[in-house]
Amino acid sequence: MSDRDCADILAHISSYLDGELAATECGAIERHCRDCESCASVVAGLRHTVGLCREAGSAPLPDVVRQRAQESVRKLLAERRRDG
Amino acid sequence: MERLLVQAQEVAFRFSFLVCGHAQDAEDVMQDALLKTYRHIGRIREPEHFRTWLYKTVRNTCLMKRRRRVDEPSHLVSIEQGGPPSGDGFTAVDVEDPARGPDEAAMNTWLGDRLRAALKALPPSYRMIVFLREMEGLSTREVAKVTGITEANVKTRLSRARGMLRDQLEGV
Repeated sequence: MSDRDCADILAHISSYLDGELAATECGAIERHCRDCESCASVVAGLRHTVGLCREAGSAPLPDVVRQRAQESVRKLLAERRRDG
Repeated sequence: MERLLVQAQEVAFRFSFLVCGHAQDAEDVMQDALLKTYRHIGRIREPEHFRTWLYKTVRNTCLMKRRRRVDEPSHLVSIEQGGPPSGDGFTAVDVEDPARGPDEAAMNTWLGDRLRAALKALPPSYRMIVFLREMEGLSTREVAKVTGITEANVKTRLSRARGMLRDQLEGV
């Protein structure tokens, strides 16, 4: 694979990971990565990074924070009910 | 209603902690989000509009808090700044250490030291894009609405931020 191929691949990896590329473009990237260890490593690393972020984002907040939020809501609603 | 109000505060906490790095401000930002959401709740028609409204509101509150802080270290900049001015040479901007906040142990467990350090090393404007897109799951269009930049710019920043995060996590 030429350097140009690698540059093209790197420019489109983010869109590839987001599923924004057409099937033919995805196929080209996957074929390239089968032969290019360097690009394959970048794709794997970025996929792992994105996965870590999404995993962290979907994890529930610590109980102490959630309990604080729930207490504040209960307090606010009780105050508003009392004030009519 | 209760669920939306709790959700608003959780968004406020995550934004304050992860994007601004001000765990000590999080409580105020949560309270502000609670009151504003309570007042806004009767006007909610579309869930997508509520999401962008909520993130915009929290973002603005964090910005205002930052401007009001009298003890803020001089090296901090707005979360709107910090992107590369030109070319590929740019400097990450430090934020205050969130470990000083009240929920240090819980937050370490929640996010993990390595990811938190990698996020902290990003320029603030990139950190906000990663937070909104990857961690909160907003679409590119929603992120553009919240941040006031174009969708193309969101994609560019996200692509660069992902590369920088990968480098940080892999110790490159």
